[in-house]
Amino acid sequence: MILLLKAWLRDWLRHPLQRLLTILGVVIAIAVVLAVDLANQSAQRAFDRSMLEVAGAATHQVLGPAEGFDERHYAELRLAGWRDLAPIVEGPLRLETGDSVYLLGVDPLAEAPFREAAAGFGEIPVQRLLTEPGTVLVPPAWLEARNRAGEAEVPVRGVSGTYTVAAIPAPAGAAQGQIWVADIATAQTLLGRLGRLDRIDARLERPGAEVELQDALPPGLELVPVGARDAAARELAQAFRINLTAMSLLALLIAAFLIYNTQTFSVLRRRQVLGSLQLLGVGRNPILAVVLVEALLVGLIGTGLGILLGIGVAQGLVGQVARTVSDHFFTVTVTAVEPRPLALAAVLALGLGLSVLAALAPALEASVQRGIGASGRVALERRSHRLTGYLFRTGLGLLALGVALAGLGWGDLVGGFVALFVLITGFLLLLPRFLATGLGWVAGPLANRLDSSLTRLAGRSLERSLSRSGPAVVALTLALAAAIGVSVLVGSFRVSVTEWLGVTLTSDLYVVPAEPASGRGGARLPGEWVGLLSGWPEVASVSTGTNQDVVSDRGLIRLFLLAPHDDWLEHLPLVSGRDPGLGTRLRDTDAVLITEGFATHQGLTLGDRIEITVPTGSRPFTIAGIYRDYSHPGGTVLMRSDRYHGGTAPGFHSMGLRAVADVPVEGLESRLADWLRDRDAVALITRPDTIQRESLEIFDRTFAITHLLRVITLVVAFVAILSALVALQMERSREYAILRSTGLLPGGVSRLVFLQAGLLGLFAAVAAIPLGLGMGWVLIEVINREAFGWRMDVRLPGLPLAENLLLGIGAALLASVYPAWRLARMPVVPALRMES
Amino acid sequence: MATRLSSVLECRSLGFSYSGAAGTADVLRGVDLSLQPGERVAVVGESGSGKSTLLHLAAGLETPSAGYVWLKGVELGALSEGERTRLRRSQIGIVFQAFHLVPTLTALENVALPLDLMGLATGRALQARARTALAEVGLADKVERYPEQLSGGEQQRVAIARALVHRPALILADEPTGNLDSATGESVFRLLLEQVAATGSALLMVTHSDALAARLDRTARMVDGRLLKADGATAADPA
Repeated sequence: MILLLKAWLRDWLRHPLQRLLTILGVVIAIAVVLAVDLANQSAQRAFDRSMLEVAGAATHQVLGPAEGFDERHYAELRLAGWRDLAPIVEGPLRLETGDSVYLLGVDPLAEAPFREAAAGFGEIPVQRLLTEPGTVLVPPAWLEARNRAGEAEVPVRGVSGTYTVAAIPAPAGAAQGQIWVADIATAQTLLGRLGRLDRIDARLERPGAEVELQDALPPGLELVPVGARDAAARELAQAFRINLTAMSLLALLIAAFLIYNTQTFSVLRRRQVLGSLQLLGVGRNPILAVVLVEALLVGLIGTGLGILLGIGVAQGLVGQVARTVSDHFFTVTVTAVEPRPLALAAVLALGLGLSVLAALAPALEASVQRGIGASGRVALERRSHRLTGYLFRTGLGLLALGVALAGLGWGDLVGGFVALFVLITGFLLLLPRFLATGLGWVAGPLANRLDSSLTRLAGRSLERSLSRSGPAVVALTLALAAAIGVSVLVGSFRVSVTEWLGVTLTSDLYVVPAEPASGRGGARLPGEWVGLLSGWPEVASVSTGTNQDVVSDRGLIRLFLLAPHDDWLEHLPLVSGRDPGLGTRLRDTDAVLITEGFATHQGLTLGDRIEITVPTGSRPFTIAGIYRDYSHPGGTVLMRSDRYHGGTAPGFHSMGLRAVADVPVEGLESRLADWLRDRDAVALITRPDTIQRESLEIFDRTFAITHLLRVITLVVAFVAILSALVALQMERSREYAILRSTGLLPGGVSRLVFLQAGLLGLFAAVAAIPLGLGMGWVLIEVINREAFGWRMDVRLPGLPLAENLLLGIGAALLASVYPAWRLARMPVVPALRMES
Repeated sequence: MATRLSSVLECRSLGFSYSGAAGTADVLRGVDLSLQPGERVAVVGESGSGKSTLLHLAAGLETPSAGYVWLKGVELGALSEGERTRLRRSQIGIVFQAFHLVPTLTALENVALPLDLMGLATGRALQARARTALAEVGLADKVERYPEQLSGGEQQRVAIARALVHRPALILADEPTGNLDSATGESVFRLLLEQVAATGSALLMVTHSDALAARLDRTARMVDGRLLKADGATAADPA
């Protein structure tokens, strides 16, 4: 066996380029799969840690209105005998550098059962929270990252001014996560919640305690399980990560084609060796074994290098993933990737399995090969042509299955991706038959029409190398189609978001707090500003908006409270429920609007009811309309602010001003800025185009990773087609030598090679169009809708389609440069002596 | 009278045909042949007459369309492919016109390969036997060379050493001097005869050269798929 392995594997030293290309494909594919997985897992762990640190060991939370509730309720509950309670004030806090952190205000004396940060009660750092106002426990890693050992004075921007806090490292053994912890009084000052709490954590372990505590709560407070608060954000963040993972698996699929192709070629190239071994009496199984051992080695080396590269790439990727999660779901901070042994072992198994599986067919082919000479090659191509019919029929079947799965829907995200992959596989299986037919046309009628023997040669040569050209074309088609599909998704989405922003941003100026808002509390602007500014002669009307998380019979929901301009419904992109009396119903009755996403996630429609907790208690509200909105992944319920508060709101998150006709907006803006300055108000003035620009920046950032993965799949496909072209040209060296000996110049040989590559690239680019458009449709209508509930109109990407065409042809031409150069310089006589 | 039990190789009514684009072609028709231990037989004939096909059938590399082949009394058609392979590697050595050495193995490793495959020797014993075989063909100083570093004649010598290292009962030689110049071919041919005599193997050699054929014990002529004796009669038995 050792000699057999030597006979087989020493070929690596003689043909290093082929081997390198195969390994490179495995390296890139494994690296991207691992990088995405590590980034996802790290962001997930950061997310979980954040959730855990925010919730601690609490089993339930007492929640009230989003702007908080009177802290005396806590004292009343304690006096009533409820011991395992802890008051909390929380919210985002802006540092002077512009970064945001999440501040948790706790009562250290009550926190011991709840939070690891207080586990060291009695240790100096926690005592200092009590004794030194303005002291904050921060994750040690945050201080280390800023080259500060021990304590540091950190300026922060509170609601009512700038403060300097003493940041000390959280005690060893405490949670090392993402949250800053301060005494509740310090947090109330920084977050502007004097006399108020955001929630009360409760640990209820006794049976029946939940019901008893709920009964003991005053009106306006609700008891919810801890999980309910996080479930929506967790689900949505997971959907985002599944999307990324699916994209990374595409790279893996393309790598599989690469390995299959190069292994097939490497077996075929060594058919003389195989023939000699079989004549000497080497049986099928040993030959199968050596070929698979080689594949295993390729997998081992490629996966090992891929893991190293993947960890490096993950370090860069994790920041992007965390930022997207923070942009849309919950603030997380990830400073490092933490590869887990189990994840690495899984990737190793994946890489080895992929290599062996992709090499199985060529290994079986090698073990049954008979004869030394040309019959092996010819027989392979004959079999390949026969196989195209079988693949075509199978492909049709899979397409039908995929369409059925996509149309019927499995009701979940994974089901959507399964349908997508079935569709992709079905389509790809059709390609070899189309390729054979198309090449036959090129080799015959088209060549005759063009009177071009080179064209005929190119087509015929490719047609007779279907076993080589087929997998390469499939790999390139898949990569190009993925690029088109993503373009369709992102392009349609961007257009929809841009149109939506244009329609809904109807004010001339917006005023928002300088401090970050959040769904539970956060900075607010004073309610009396509405009356004051409405009285300005330059101001035609004022609207206000507040986003907050409230309790409902559907769990915690995002509620948008709106005090609108008069014509607001004309600009709202309603998809159902539009009727003349809608505005009156929303103003005078308990009626709400919901977004498409909310309707999808909650399974609601017009006329359904939802029970929402408002300051005066819980009430049922009727769904009067559904509108399109992209501001929150989980969907939103829109209620008039006066309906919620029973009058004027005490505060709000944003204000929109419309200028009177003929009043320059710049003048109004300037007067407003002076007015805010006079009040020492920590607020910002912004314009609709600025909001639009910043929103689209977040949008582009969200899809930056997807674009990166798209580029990587194209790189893997390029490697696949390069490898195939090198193999094709090397196999046909004798043919080229014959052509040279009969008069074809070296330049003619190069032209022939470029022509073949161009044909392959053109075919792949054209085939990618219907596949890519189909993928885009499924991504929009099935997957995106299932994941986020967002709906959008499918827009055909004109320019990206043309770019893709050029990309496919360009990639193939680029990949043919080296083989063309090599063949043009090839000595003719030795090549003539080679067996065909 | 020679019987199939005493014969090294026995072919009866052997036929082989294949189907192609132009229909069915009969390559061999009713071939009868018998080889005794140590006997040396040449098969001559024009290109396309079926000589190489006869060798492939004798080696068990192809399955006959008609008739039977016995190797050391064992009917090849009754064996599975694995059994045929094992029988071939233990009882037959093959020398080709194109040498067919494994290019990624040294001369020593090429010669050692049959012993390794059969498990007849391992480690140093394996190497020692291979070295001895190479020394017997005059290549003791070139054991670590790869095939492309050897001349045509040297490569064929290695092939002869490889074919005989395990002392097979039968040597099949398909135009062993076809790719060599006349001087080298003569020395290789003499070497082949010496080694065959030394091991006591039977030899069935395909050649274009009547002169080489005349130096063997018996000549049979292949004409249009049929095997004739040198005097025109069918070459069924030596006597």
